Amino acid sequence: MKIIGLIITIITGAFLVYAAIDFPAWSDPNSPASTYLSPYFIENSMKDTSVPNYVTSLLADYRGFDTMFETTVIFTAGLVCFILLRISGGKEPETSHYRHVLTGVTVTLKKGHKIPESEDFERIDDLWTPPDLIIKTSCRLMIPFIQLFGLYVIAHGHSSPGGGFQGGVILGASIILLAISHDLRTALEKMREKVVAILCPIGVSIYAGTGTLCLLLGVNFLDYSALASVLHVDPIAARSHGIFMVEIGVGIAVMTTMIWIYNNISSAGKYNQGL
Amino acid sequence: MSQQYPAILVIVPLLSAFAISIAGWVNKRLCFPIIVTALSVVVYASIGLLLTVLEKGVVIYHLGGWPPPVGIAYYVDHLNGLVLVVVASVALLNVIAAKKSIEQEFPDKAAPFYTLYILMVTGLLGIVVTGDAFNLYVLLEIAALTGYGLLAMGEERAQLSSLNYLYMGTIGACFYLLGVGYLYIVTGSLNMMDIARLLPPLYQSKAVLAAFIICMVGVWLKMAFFPLHSWLPNAYTHATSAASSLIAPLVTKVMVYVMIRLILTIFTPEFAFATMALNNVVVWLAVIAIVMGAILALAERNLKKMLTFIIVAEVGYMVGGAWLGNRAGMTGAILHIVNDALMTLCVFLVVGNIVYKVKGYAFEDLQGLFRKMPFTMGAFVVGAMSIIGVPPTCGFFSKWYLILGALQAGHYGFVAALIFSSLVSVVLFFRIFEICYYEPFSDHHGHDHPPEPMDEAPLLMVVPLLIVAVILILVGLYTGDIVNHIIKFAIPEGLV
Repeated sequence: MKIIGLIITIITGAFLVYAAIDFPAWSDPNSPASTYLSPYFIENSMKDTSVPNYVTSLLADYRGFDTMFETTVIFTAGLVCFILLRISGGKEPETSHYRHVLTGVTVTLKKGHKIPESEDFERIDDLWTPPDLIIKTSCRLMIPFIQLFGLYVIAHGHSSPGGGFQGGVILGASIILLAISHDLRTALEKMREKVVAILCPIGVSIYAGTGTLCLLLGVNFLDYSALASVLHVDPIAARSHGIFMVEIGVGIAVMTTMIWIYNNISSAGKYNQGL
Repeated sequence: MSQQYPAILVIVPLLSAFAISIAGWVNKRLCFPIIVTALSVVVYASIGLLLTVLEKGVVIYHLGGWPPPVGIAYYVDHLNGLVLVVVASVALLNVIAAKKSIEQEFPDKAAPFYTLYILMVTGLLGIVVTGDAFNLYVLLEIAALTGYGLLAMGEERAQLSSLNYLYMGTIGACFYLLGVGYLYIVTGSLNMMDIARLLPPLYQSKAVLAAFIICMVGVWLKMAFFPLHSWLPNAYTHATSAASSLIAPLVTKVMVYVMIRLILTIFTPEFAFATMALNNVVVWLAVIAIVMGAILALAERNLKKMLTFIIVAEVGYMVGGAWLGNRAGMTGAILHIVNDALMTLCVFLVVGNIVYKVKGYAFEDLQGLFRKMPFTMGAFVVGAMSIIGVPPTCGFFSKWYLILGALQAGHYGFVAALIFSSLVSVVLFFRIFEICYYEPFSDHHGHDHPPEPMDEAPLLMVVPLLIVAVILILVGLYTGDIVNHIIKFAIPEGLV
């Protein structure tokens, strides 16, 4: 069976390479891909949308409809992770561990027992290791700057590399870093499961909603120029603002999906303890 | 409003997916009304769109206001107008019928299930409505990803089968994307109409040939065409009834639509049938698919799995019909997309009802069902007759066109395969009728079992099923109108 697979793979690969003979030459300036549509985008992006970064204008405006569905794909991935992994109302674990903060004594409780509510005890994971001051402190210092940078990347997608996807991943990474350096419970206190699960569809709906708003204003779906009447700017600047609105939506959706997937996978759907 | 139908078709289910997802955390009872409303709007818009196409011809919708090839355009003609109506109505009927079983099977995860369900419908509608080769791929991703999720939520072995499907489906989607990439390299465009306009001077190029072949192999993988079918039976059998009765009727059929769109619009029949001269090989592959599908179905002792092998055979019908390279064959293939979607829905809804009541779908579980669930089994008989191809059910007419096409093309192997598989279907279904009607046998001493009381599935499950059964007969009776007013215009003049 392995040999048959190998033969099929080699034949397919050879066929694809053979077909590549008829491609235009490598980096040929006269190839159809570089003469047919690309010049239009390069020359007209600024004129059409007042966005200097024509990658952004291509992704979020000319082909913005594809990008909306790419964001939906990300939302779907998060949702599928949730639906397959999340165990709601899972069984109580056999034992749970509490640590007395002042003395460092660990108390192990059997199922059914509880510890009185008190500031002195904190719940800890099964595979708990003593907190490393250096890791905790440096992560705590870094996280705000990571988040600030994430916001910058989202907001600055118009004129430099970046945009909602990249910025959203950076924002998501900051919360995941919190979960890794402290523990999952700390991260969940900052971003509760329900908040994540509701923000994620809201992020994508900001994108789709911007498009629908255009439709309700009497033009085609995602034709941002209609936003001119709402935002009191000229139609070209309105396209630029429209792109910014959808980038915010993408940023929220991507950030929350990252956190959602991490939470579900790292705690195996139980949300009681992470990595 | 009516010029916005193409956008509404995709936007309404998309937005309602997010609404359902949020409603799941707020008030779970809102989910079902939202999904039914959204799908009703979709059905309304799709019928409106088809009527517009019938009246005024092709509808083109520029998304974002950018004319193609700069932007993405929706392109609706008679072919996808018809398929859109089928996809929308199957999705609506199925969600109403599946409500009870969804609530039974996932009491606490109904909201994410509905979200995935309507996202999948969005994906399928988007695949059908689009006129952009890359946009089709993006929607294919959505339909596939939600499909993996929905199929994995079944019984114990569902996750493994779904993983298998994920591997195969991903390879299929990659092949399609690679083909689109090859096309983009040689033409510089992604719009289907535009590619079709730019391609004729390039017909001799090896890159175009490769693009065509890998796109075809990609969609064949996705539709489970015979040697590439191995993922389908397990994935569909182990899924929950609500998921399999959405996915089984629609996904393979939508992929057949994509294949026909590739042949008719992007590459044009001249290239596909004349330049390539591959059609004989593909029709023989279809013959093998039909025969093997029928034989493998015969070997099953399990109703749902048997039906999945029938799907494999039906895919062979449609691929073979499309590749016969003549008008009658293509008509049969397009008509069979409609008919097969409806009859697969019918039989899978029956399985759903049986699973709801009997909690099983092996042959032993079916004993005495005619007495127990008369309405469900009545619909099953109609669905089975349609799959066998008994007039006046719709299955007869598409088979008729397929055989006509095969005779015109002089392909007697395909005729023989069609007749063989119809005969095998007779055996398959009458064996089940026998079990459901006569078994359990009364013992010899005259101690008759008291007849089991009637225990029909809830009304909400039976009514949509009976509607589907009636539609099967209505579509059969009005086949002439469908062919003369819709399918005739879906096939280019050049194909005779």
